Amino acid sequence: MRWLAFLILLAPQAAQQKFDPHDLSGHWNRTSRFQTFSNVFSGQGNTAGTAEAPFTPEGKAKFDANKPGYGPRAVPPAIGNDPMGTCDPLGIPRLLNTEVITPHQTMEIVQVPGRMIQFFEWHHDWREVFIDRQLSAADTVEPTWNGTSVGKWEGDVFVVDSMGFDDRTWLDKFGYPHSENMKLQERYRRIDADTLELTMTITDPEMYTRPWVSDTKLFRLDRAKSSRWDEQIYCVPTEEYKFNLLVRDEAGGKGAGK
Amino acid sequence: MAYRFFAPLVLIFSMTAFAHHGSSISYQLDKTITLDGIVTEWDYRNPHPQIYFDVKDKDGTVAHWAAELLSTPLMLRNLNVGWSRTTVKPKDHIILVCNPSRVAGAKACLAKELTLNGKSWPLGGGPNAAPAPAARGARQ
Repeated sequence: MRWLAFLILLAPQAAQQKFDPHDLSGHWNRTSRFQTFSNVFSGQGNTAGTAEAPFTPEGKAKFDANKPGYGPRAVPPAIGNDPMGTCDPLGIPRLLNTEVITPHQTMEIVQVPGRMIQFFEWHHDWREVFIDRQLSAADTVEPTWNGTSVGKWEGDVFVVDSMGFDDRTWLDKFGYPHSENMKLQERYRRIDADTLELTMTITDPEMYTRPWVSDTKLFRLDRAKSSRWDEQIYCVPTEEYKFNLLVRDEAGGKGAGK
Repeated sequence: MAYRFFAPLVLIFSMTAFAHHGSSISYQLDKTITLDGIVTEWDYRNPHPQIYFDVKDKDGTVAHWAAELLSTPLMLRNLNVGWSRTTVKPKDHIILVCNPSRVAGAKACLAKELTLNGKSWPLGGGPNAAPAPAARGARQ
């Protein structure tokens, strides 16, 4: 855990550096523990600190039908149905979890007039947030993988409201579901020069009996990454198909043969 | 070359499992087997690099195996020891210590230790990996 001690030593210096709280641009690496939407530890079989999801009966049924390869309910991917296993889009909010370990647990924020754009290295995806624009029903007639998002500043907090999500995506790699009518609010706050905080709240009465708030996610600014080439971590369907056929299915007992 | 197939050895598994693609759950992480064989294919790609190889048992029967590496190509490159698309080639001699599948008889495993033509190659990656070399990381 030398890197953690290093971060602790740097923390006072970061707090003293001047920064613009309305400037969220840069590469941000997740440093907080959880790779899931809520404070559910991602280690297989370890449920310490597991949050209780406020499921509706429909939400619980959909959760039970989702078969993840991670967490307390993990099954071999060969018999699971994580959208990632076929390179389907992860969608928002799952992308925001930055659900892998370093060096892949990163996102870049770019701010341009009227928009904030987020780039996610994992699965090489991106989403845009229109600033100071109103969402209308016409914007979300057809659901989309990342939803439709607008943002505004409330003091030093950048608030993003989104709707119009495709319900084939999961909230996270543990298989928590959502409906097409889910509404998501993200709240970003730059705590100091090097630290970004994010909390998310989903409101989805079809799946959850009350709004569900994520754990507080922390990201550290990676200045050096801005001078390195993009790693282009695509999920490539043909590569995934071969891996599934020859390794994952064999290991999971589906015996595709090689 | 004579190939050998070693019976599964139960070893202590101390490395933190961190498969980012849900792979670990398919394998018995508290057990290892040692396989000695000849490489037929090396696929240095996402989601996990794969080695395909043939193992001959004492009776001369050849079984075709697949092994996945836990680290991604990027993680392996960050080790700065020379991992690339050409590190492993068909007909290379491989000795692989790996976690067997949870399914009896499955010919797939999760690589833990890899010796290629007599040389050991580190497989670890993740948080403690060395940073990527500047030569390939620097923007022009």
